[in-house]
Amino acid sequence: MKVRVKLYGTLGKHVPGYEISNGIEVEIPDGGKVKDILSVLHMPESQGVVVVIGGSIMTPDYTLHDGASVSLLQPLSGG
Amino acid sequence: MKFIRVNMNNKSIRIEDVPQQYLGLGGRGLTSVMINLEVPPTCDPLGPENKLIIAPGSLSGTPLVNTSRISIGAKSPLTGGIKESNAGGTVSDALGRLGVTAIIVEGKAPEGDLSLLRIDVNGNATLSSVADFKGMRTYTLTEKLLKQYGEKNAVLCIGPAGEKQLSSASIQSSDVDGHPCRAAGRGGLGAVMGAKGLKAVVVEHGGKTADPIADPEAFKEAAKAVVKAVREHPMSGQMMPALGTAGLVAPVNSMGAFPSYNARKGVLEGWEKISGEAMAEMITKRGGNPSHMGCSQCIVHCSNVFVDAAGKYVTSSLEYETIWSMGGMTGVADLDIIARLDFLCDDIGVDTMNTGVAIAIAMDAGYRNFGDGQAVIEMVEEIAKDTELGRIIGSGPTAAGKYFKNARIPAVKNQGVAAYDPRAMLGNGVTFATCPMGADHTAGNLVGEYLVGALDPLNPEGQVETSRNLQIGVAAVDSTGMCFMAAAALADGEGGAAFLKTINAKFGIQLQPADVGALGIRVLTAEREFNKKAGFTEKDDRLPRFYYEEPLPPHNKVFAISDQELDSTLGVLGI
Repeated sequence: MKVRVKLYGTLGKHVPGYEISNGIEVEIPDGGKVKDILSVLHMPESQGVVVVIGGSIMTPDYTLHDGASVSLLQPLSGG
Repeated sequence: MKFIRVNMNNKSIRIEDVPQQYLGLGGRGLTSVMINLEVPPTCDPLGPENKLIIAPGSLSGTPLVNTSRISIGAKSPLTGGIKESNAGGTVSDALGRLGVTAIIVEGKAPEGDLSLLRIDVNGNATLSSVADFKGMRTYTLTEKLLKQYGEKNAVLCIGPAGEKQLSSASIQSSDVDGHPCRAAGRGGLGAVMGAKGLKAVVVEHGGKTADPIADPEAFKEAAKAVVKAVREHPMSGQMMPALGTAGLVAPVNSMGAFPSYNARKGVLEGWEKISGEAMAEMITKRGGNPSHMGCSQCIVHCSNVFVDAAGKYVTSSLEYETIWSMGGMTGVADLDIIARLDFLCDDIGVDTMNTGVAIAIAMDAGYRNFGDGQAVIEMVEEIAKDTELGRIIGSGPTAAGKYFKNARIPAVKNQGVAAYDPRAMLGNGVTFATCPMGADHTAGNLVGEYLVGALDPLNPEGQVETSRNLQIGVAAVDSTGMCFMAAAALADGEGGAAFLKTINAKFGIQLQPADVGALGIRVLTAEREFNKKAGFTEKDDRLPRFYYEEPLPPHNKVFAISDQELDSTLGVLGI
């Protein structure tokens, strides 16, 4: 199945040719989980990637549905 | 270790040793403890009894990186309570290198009198009349002052809003390029400075009389470890240099907590056009600088230089809270307009946050349509023109709500909220309600806790305790001059240990981590004491009713922390 992923912060640098205006379509196995996206996109663990779907932060084991819109973000503090 | 006491009644200046009771304090710690001891709590904030205290952090002026925050404190004309507002720039470092612990401005000049305080490289302080600068905006003023005294000077100044003593008036601080683009914006401290009759403070860089460091070798070693921690931390080492605080636009909108259209929605339509990512790309394409060093000794470079399509300077240090207040609250998803508004607010000398919230209240009442950027620019310009509307907008959200008969006033203690809706980030609502300063974005911001998954922003559990701990920690850090953007790397672990070692080496003491908390509690205690004496009660520690009654899309939740829980936030400390 395919999901639409947008990368924020400096995460786009890890995906060659990524353009923020388009996002990227990622193919994962049916019934795939959040962690599958991170794996396909080779997101570095050191960045502590935050995954938001439908306004909520999801864990790596959250199961995705076909066509889901997923935002990958980086943690930062406010000020 | 000296105070420069400036009496505006008779234009006298007295240099004095720092009294025992204030030794070791700096920044917010010093301003708050001193206000609590020396300012009559029920005095007129714009009268002679109030004091404007300008205090570098306790580590400012040392070789330690990112210690250039200047704390400015007084009784606030906006909240009626105690206020500390801190800003970046270069003045804190300049004062620290002169061994100045604080400038204390007392009394009040005769009506219409306008002065400038100059402190030269030898620490000599003089007052002079600057009647010619009356009504001058901050960019022109700063340019003139730096031409007159030389580029190697730091400037703190007010614009027309401060002279008019408007409750949203800021004190602007010059950055490393000499632009007055950093603001002690909150609480109307510019109005206090204006009431004193003080237009600007000019401090020469290069002082060689900084307070001695008790153990220079230990300090040097610890300072190196601080640098390492700041450079290696993902936030201070990567995110901040790339996007600055504007990097928060994406996560906060993604989480449905970006107060938009006067806090009617939690997501701004078109927010991707004003995100940190979009801004960095735009600035880079136009030849500006998306990773700018704004403050002395900064290695984070969270600032930026925003230029127009022709590559011409528009503003510097365009930050998340301003993008929100001038963009999210007004429904203007246009970075060029927001950048222009940031410049205008800095130039006129008003808080971008309070002003954006006041304008949003007017728009919400039907005065203009949300999304009308030109109307927002015109409303800000009204402040400088000193029209009736301008005085209303420049007086903040509560004044705007009364004038436009709109009860939806997103403010606590009359201070406009910040860029995190309490209904979608409950803990930030706890901080807005209970912070002695009024609604505040720096005093105990939980967004970082939500993003690392330490806490669910929509679940009441843990919000009060986390807000409390952050408020204590920030009150301590705000006393050192350390910038929040670097402090994120110094909260714990090796960075935290190294930061504590720098404090111990500077003062020749042996503080333990728990002592840092004790300092934070001491500061908060002074602030709460002052507010109580000024007449504040628990009822002042509440959010406006609409947060409890109107669900916020997209989560459609209301604020769900009880009054008892709010009261326990700081009350449990016995303060």
